[in-house]
Amino acid sequence: MRTPEIPRPAAAHLLEADGIRLAFGNRVLLSDVYLRVQTGQVVGLLGRNGCGKSTLLQTLSGGRQVADASVRANGRRVVPAYRQPGLLNYLPQVPVLPRQLPIAAAARLLGVNAAAALSAFPELLAQVQRPVGELSGGTARLVEVLLLLHADTRFTLLDEPFTGVMPVHLETLADVMRAVKLRKGLLLTDHRYEQVLALCDVVYLLHDGRLELLANPREGLRDRGYISS
Amino acid sequence: MTLNTYLRALALFYRTLLPQTILLSALVLGATALGAGLLQLPWPPPLGPGLVLMKLGTFPLLAYLEHRLRPHQYWFYRNLHLAPWQLWAPLVVLDTLAFCALAGVLHQLVA
Repeated sequence: MRTPEIPRPAAAHLLEADGIRLAFGNRVLLSDVYLRVQTGQVVGLLGRNGCGKSTLLQTLSGGRQVADASVRANGRRVVPAYRQPGLLNYLPQVPVLPRQLPIAAAARLLGVNAAAALSAFPELLAQVQRPVGELSGGTARLVEVLLLLHADTRFTLLDEPFTGVMPVHLETLADVMRAVKLRKGLLLTDHRYEQVLALCDVVYLLHDGRLELLANPREGLRDRGYISS
Repeated sequence: MTLNTYLRALALFYRTLLPQTILLSALVLGATALGAGLLQLPWPPPLGPGLVLMKLGTFPLLAYLEHRLRPHQYWFYRNLHLAPWQLWAPLVVLDTLAFCALAGVLHQLVA
């Protein structure tokens, strides 16, 4: 399987977020968050169920409005970030592509060359005219991830991109992400922490509302009870 | 985003909501038919502000139902850098115009 060739960018771009505070009733979900993603990096965001990872990604993308949240691209405030053409795209936990839309039509709307985006997975190329709703859950997830990765944005935020993707495809998908990061910054969260750790240049752990940059990810995750060994 | 992409996204959004807007338009016309029957007035009524306001009044209900039943549909459009209002504003205008055209044609045909 081959991954598409992607040109290296001329200069690095920076996406930063801070000032994100969010509470539901008495429960503080996010309280002390500073997050930084740079093009050329894959950044991992780990944390227990319900700790606010998805909320943080949604806030970063601009789809969720949080008062005082500051999201900046190269130092310039961009709220909501999704409104800035070419800045970022976001894969939520839920299916994102309309079910009735064929893969090829979805790719056209996203400005993506479907053949190039799916080239690492030849079996998907034969299905580009099928509506997304006719694909299995795992295949649809893989297509969504690939289309968003290949869209012309500087950053891609991925919430559980590996969910439902079969093991034989995971390594190829990781290779695609490594190729794409040459021109993009990727921020991803997933409970498949082995895949995340193998792929990421930087790992954050979200716990008790605070985001912590882990200097030694495996040790940090073990010390904070995210993994047992 | 190009105008062509925006129009295709709008068409997709409108197509998704078309069954609901048709149903609500039919309910508005049905309500006017009921009122006309009770008050011994001619039906269909001529196109006027009351009819247009009734049609416009269906959109908050439609938006509420979409928010409750398909809260995640906007993520796709956000990936096209489109805010929900950029989908709803043209839909309200287009659907109201289509409703007015239908009501006008019905009135002409029956009158």
